[in-house]
Amino acid sequence: MNLLSILAILIIGGIAGYFITKLNKLAGAWLTVLTSLTALFMLFGIKDQIGSTYEFLYFTFELTQIGWYFAFVLCLTYAMSAFYNIYFMDKYLYPNTYTMLYILSLAGSVGLFFAKDFITFFVFWELVVWTSAFIIPLGKSRKSAYIYYVVSSIGSMATLFAILWVYKLTGSLVIREAFSLLDVSTWTAIFIFGLFIFAGLTKIGIYPFHIWLPLAHGSAPHTFSPILSGGLVKLGAYVAYISVVLFPAYDAFSEAWMIFGVPAPIYFLMILGAISIIIGTLMAIRQEDAKKLLAYSSVANGGYILIGILMVDQVTFAGGLLHLFAHAIASATAFLTIAAIAYRTGTTKISELGGMIHRMPITYTVYLIAIISMAGIPPMAGFVSKWLILQGLASKGLLIIAFAAFFGSIGSFMYVFRPLAAVFLGQLAPKYDNLKEAPIFMVIPMVIMTGITLFIGVFPKFVLEMIMKVQVEAGITAVTMNGTAIDIFNGYLDAYHVFVIFGFGFFIALVLFLLMPKARKVDLMDTYTSAEFIYTPELLHYAHDFYAPFERLYENHPSTLSLYSKLSLKLKEIGLFVDYLMMSVKPATTLLWIILFIATVSLGGVLS
Amino acid sequence: MTIMNFVAAFLFVLGAFAFQTSITGVNRKIMARLQKRRGPKWYQQFLDIFKALSKSSISHGWVYDFGVIMALGGIMATVIFIPIANFRAFPNTDNVFIISYVLAVGMLGMAMSASGSGNPWASIGVGRALTNMLAYEVPFMIVVVTMIYSFNTASIGEIAEIQQDLGVLGWNMFRMPLGTIVALISLQGMLGKKPFDSFIAPAEIASGPMVEYGGKHLGMLFILHDLSTFIEISLIVNLFFGGGATFLEFGIKYFVVYTVANLVSGIMPRFKIDQAVVFFYKFPLAAALIQGFIVIFTGWGVTKWL
Repeated sequence: MNLLSILAILIIGGIAGYFITKLNKLAGAWLTVLTSLTALFMLFGIKDQIGSTYEFLYFTFELTQIGWYFAFVLCLTYAMSAFYNIYFMDKYLYPNTYTMLYILSLAGSVGLFFAKDFITFFVFWELVVWTSAFIIPLGKSRKSAYIYYVVSSIGSMATLFAILWVYKLTGSLVIREAFSLLDVSTWTAIFIFGLFIFAGLTKIGIYPFHIWLPLAHGSAPHTFSPILSGGLVKLGAYVAYISVVLFPAYDAFSEAWMIFGVPAPIYFLMILGAISIIIGTLMAIRQEDAKKLLAYSSVANGGYILIGILMVDQVTFAGGLLHLFAHAIASATAFLTIAAIAYRTGTTKISELGGMIHRMPITYTVYLIAIISMAGIPPMAGFVSKWLILQGLASKGLLIIAFAAFFGSIGSFMYVFRPLAAVFLGQLAPKYDNLKEAPIFMVIPMVIMTGITLFIGVFPKFVLEMIMKVQVEAGITAVTMNGTAIDIFNGYLDAYHVFVIFGFGFFIALVLFLLMPKARKVDLMDTYTSAEFIYTPELLHYAHDFYAPFERLYENHPSTLSLYSKLSLKLKEIGLFVDYLMMSVKPATTLLWIILFIATVSLGGVLS
Repeated sequence: MTIMNFVAAFLFVLGAFAFQTSITGVNRKIMARLQKRRGPKWYQQFLDIFKALSKSSISHGWVYDFGVIMALGGIMATVIFIPIANFRAFPNTDNVFIISYVLAVGMLGMAMSASGSGNPWASIGVGRALTNMLAYEVPFMIVVVTMIYSFNTASIGEIAEIQQDLGVLGWNMFRMPLGTIVALISLQGMLGKKPFDSFIAPAEIASGPMVEYGGKHLGMLFILHDLSTFIEISLIVNLFFGGGATFLEFGIKYFVVYTVANLVSGIMPRFKIDQAVVFFYKFPLAAALIQGFIVIFTGWGVTKWL
């Protein structure tokens, strides 16, 4: 068993999936489950081969610790979401294409994480971009797919440019070798670094490239949104890792201007991450669609991950990588619960739902645990990662970043609570009276993911040990652990103790509750209404404009999307002007421009 | 973790409850005098709680019950984490982030239970409470980050000990005066006292989250309220007023801080929720950041101090 066989299974499985789905849709759906689960298990099989290299045709791969960690997170989200295909395959216009692209995008991600040279990296990167760009329009809208593709392409092209530049300077395309040979001035280093990380920033949805996330996540097929948020967005974090650790950015910028002990270019990116946290949080608070709300929360959490990875230190870096895992699982789970609700009710609009807890209690519990983790509340995985990030930021005194981190953290209570209150709690509309719990193969992955979130929240050791290996590989001090506890120089967290103490408190409260007289069960409509007679549950359900007073504070803010549309309008005008000059009725004018163009190009060739 | 730890923790929670409830009773009397009333007996708060617990109650479904239990459980767990004088029920659990986030479990449980009642007033109240939290928590946490940066520890007990070693002038109240002002303003928000009490405003939204509760649910929420007050005041006393070398010293400081907060509340009108947000993101946030930059760039109050 080796890496190449995983890739072979995925690629062959993808192509075979096209034909199998044509024969039988259900078989195709099970194929996605089977291939992604196989990839996940095989990944554990090659765990001991870290450091070995593989070659196939022009492609070269290297099994690294960081690549393994990322591939593990991705395979897990793919495998869990794949179960939903069983129920949703009928609803797609082109199920065979969907199956193929679904498996191929996993192949692309896995190949990309283990790429040894830039060309392999770029080819697999594009494979992911193209496959996902064709899956998104299978959902609600095509426009979002265009925007996703354009934003991704901007990133890819910038990265390609950086790759070619590095190749020109060093003559090597092997990632580690080329970066180690690179010996350039600080300014050149800043340009190469900036261009290379561009693809990462666009993918992870850092401000101002966050516009594609809510559009794509919101309108992608319900089965693919969890993967976009839990998996594909994380590819950006991998690019950030390459550019900041392998580059290595801190050495290259050692002569740059320092802010709080961080080189200015990296600090600038951290500020962008902080802006993403704030914008993601504010926008998530005001969304009316549950999927868009979660998409904006992915923007915010992407900011945390980027900040953590950019720090490349003992604590925050570990926090960033753990947050990547915690958020991938929690966010994918939250998307899956919304998918389950959409499967049963046909809508994801918050204000059209309500009281789902009375019909889908398991889905509710799963969502509850997912959002507890997303909001960073113990005893879930998201708490441990946020704790590490906050401890790291505090130890460096990075106040502005810490401000954004706290804002995002407390703001997340607001936005995650909204679907909880308005979708799951509150009044149950009569039209949903006959609703049933999600089907069994939706419940299974949801419960597994919930278990993982809780387990890692109590015993973070199991993921932190992988991260410690990554830190050793990256040449930085690994985060230190003491038994079940994380023991760092300015803090101590024993998540297991926290869990036990919380359980103890819960036990006392439960005993107190049970000792007191039993409560009388009353109907949901039997509430205090200020002496008003209301018989329609929908009227008694508070779901629309949940945070109206707060939203009013920033409702007239300038929007990034409209800025881009204005820019594109200007670009069109320039195009029209060029069109007017070049494509005039007189052939002589066109000829003149062609001659001038050729002259300029050849002049450029002479000069360089 | 031995059985003794759990016994100690249980007694500590009981003690904290008895202590804070008595002080609440005394403060009800003080407040009454402020309003030229006689006020109830000091143990009236106990009577209220026990009476509520023993009465019959209604339930709106399992999440309505479960939320209350989760809330009280979370708050009790948070109380156990609080270090006082040299007492810690469990070693090494007094990290400031742990405390502020375990506290959130309790808040989430209560919010969940309130929304689960199906009453729109409750949801409105919860929405306001969360907005309020976004306002007061951020400036306060920035001050806390400054403190962790300067003392290189996030343990509340250790921060209190560092202050005690330096004598009265070593209290963070004197070393970080701006930060202390911010924390005291935030405290009004944390306690849900005026001017930041719009989420429980009785006349506007029928007490918000509390609207549906009665009987044992209400009794448990009373206990929850007193315990969370205990957590918040203890945080402030430990972080800014040097904690206490003995239980008595801590108790006196505690009483003073709580009474002052209550008196301020007694003479204040109420902010609307958006006004509260705007307020906190103006002066307190600016002051917190200025305090942070002073400490980080000049070292005044930490490395350069007397």
